[in-house]
Amino acid sequence: MNRTAPHPLLAPSGHHLLRLGRYSLLLHRRSMAIALILGLLLIAVATAILAAGDDTLTPWKALQAALGQGDALQVFLIQELRLPRLIAGLLSGAALGAAGCLLQTLARNRLATPGVIGIDNGATAFAVASIVAVPTSLAPSALALSGAATAAVLTFALAAGGGARGYRFIVVGIAIGALFGALTNLMLARSDMDAANAAYPWTVGSLNARPADSVLLLGIGLAAGLPLAKLLANALSLMRFSDSVAIGLGVRLQRMRLLTLALCVWLTALAVAVVGPVGLIALAAPEMARHLCNRHGVPVFNAALSGALMMILADWLGRTLLAPIEIPVGIITSVVGGPYLLWILLRQAPRSST
Amino acid sequence: MPARLSVPQAMGMAALCLALLCLASLLLGAGDIGILPSLQALLGSSDDDARFIVFELRWVRTELAVLVGVALGAAGVLLQAVTRNPLAEPGLLGVSAGASFAVVLAINLGASAASLHLGVAMLGALVGCVLVLLVTRMRGVGDDPVRLVLAGAAFSGMLGALSSLLLLWDQRTADEMRFWVIGALAGRPLDTLEWSLPGLIGGLSMALLVVRPLAALALGERVASGLGHHPQLTRLGTLLAVAILVGTATAAAGPIAFIGLIVPYIARRLVGSDIRRTLGLSMLLGPSVLLLADVISRLLVRPYELPVGVVAAFVGAPILIAVVRQHRLPTL
Repeated sequence: MNRTAPHPLLAPSGHHLLRLGRYSLLLHRRSMAIALILGLLLIAVATAILAAGDDTLTPWKALQAALGQGDALQVFLIQELRLPRLIAGLLSGAALGAAGCLLQTLARNRLATPGVIGIDNGATAFAVASIVAVPTSLAPSALALSGAATAAVLTFALAAGGGARGYRFIVVGIAIGALFGALTNLMLARSDMDAANAAYPWTVGSLNARPADSVLLLGIGLAAGLPLAKLLANALSLMRFSDSVAIGLGVRLQRMRLLTLALCVWLTALAVAVVGPVGLIALAAPEMARHLCNRHGVPVFNAALSGALMMILADWLGRTLLAPIEIPVGIITSVVGGPYLLWILLRQAPRSST
Repeated sequence: MPARLSVPQAMGMAALCLALLCLASLLLGAGDIGILPSLQALLGSSDDDARFIVFELRWVRTELAVLVGVALGAAGVLLQAVTRNPLAEPGLLGVSAGASFAVVLAINLGASAASLHLGVAMLGALVGCVLVLLVTRMRGVGDDPVRLVLAGAAFSGMLGALSSLLLLWDQRTADEMRFWVIGALAGRPLDTLEWSLPGLIGGLSMALLVVRPLAALALGERVASGLGHHPQLTRLGTLLAVAILVGTATAAAGPIAFIGLIVPYIARRLVGSDIRRTLGLSMLLGPSVLLLADVISRLLVRPYELPVGVVAAFVGAPILIAVVRQHRLPTL
């Protein structure tokens, strides 16, 4: 058989194959459908949240006002008050969801999320430092980044020997988190009342009136980080197997681990600089994405979408549950997240610890 | 682990440490009274300011630290023995969080009597203890020290969030509780000592009752039964003692984590892991560690003060890491 044209590559069942010259991309059909549905749901919920509130608008009016048309008062209400908060929630939720997905894959443990192993607390401590302790011109985002990196490096270095998996890693992370939590308390205790109040939202996790430049930085970071995570997804899904299998399949394990961790720290820190330590999202969003996609891959993108959805819903819940008192979104997620974490933990099959 | 010191030697050293730290706690502080005037006041000089600070403020605070330290040290040893887990600690496992949540809830509902706090805190601690016991009895989770800690962290995190929720609701409570929630020895009402002393004594006598059965239980359930002890009854009694001790300590000074981890760790290092040897020692080490943390918390950020829980976390977290990093976790 003399064929001049190369034999067309066949996509595995349930996948689409995109080809562009030398490059090809395999897309899981169900995941794409889920992403589409989640995206539409996200738009619908976001619009509803924009429209609802003390002054309820119709969704259509709300969308128009978001684009700057209509009654001046409504435009102010939407553009200045509700939209920034919504965007901050969407972006930070997406970043936390994606970061959780990455770290869970890296540690091969569903309980290993940035919050549990202390990265959140590290970022918070440094971000609080930018307000209360060190009079610095550095933006909270930059400091949060260094704090998150410090915590991550400490956890990984101190847990070394037990590998990046297993529960030993997590307990070391809890200890590191406690250290940074104490550091935050130390700074809050010695600062004056105003500074302590200014830093308070960070310590519980809140979306109320977050600084616009941090949100902008988060948006840029997310735009850079998510595609990178998607590119890594292939190698990541191989990393779920044992080290020897992953190496045998051609994954450069050390480099991939470092890259994944860096990406996770990057996304977490930028998100924490905006909302503070909000638990649950990084734990539950990847789980939800995995369930929906019904596939044992690494659904970074869908995890980001679910995270955004959870974050804005939790924030909405916090605003309406006890209105006019506003419950910070971090408290809502902790109250819901604790039992969820316990449930996962107690139902999981026993494993060796160290 | 072989014993390195005889019990009287270790006890003597610990008692000496405790005495020195008590003295330091009376002499050092965030106030503008120097060491020398404090010493003179202690020896009976007539400077009223110094006398007031030393005898009214620091004396009460030192006594309170000793009381809370004894309770937390003993509770840590008991909890580690009953769960057979070197990471078990009232703060980490959510027992303190249960107690403090109960107190916040009670204050929020309008309670204010101090003795009521005590009962409520004990009840909360008991609920936390029972949950710990239930989790340790679960197959697969109980024998894994590290997972128990994670479950405790999840439980404490949830209760902490619920407490903040309640504090958010009521600004008056929030101001009252801002430091208590982190754990602090300063500025507690004077009668705190009076009502927490009976709790401490009750908890300790309960602990003395279960020491021998617990030591037998460390050899295994069947050996303990063979020696004439009742394993379930022993566990229940121990948890009750822990609940009383932790409830008392929490009502007096707020949830202070890590003391119950640091103290048994040092005690085991000194005299080996038999609870009959460690319990007495840890009652001396507990107040020493807490006093040390308290003195540091006064000096670190002068003229402000730090909640002592923060200092305890700085000491305790590295020890937690050290325990986890030990190649094989010692089983108790």
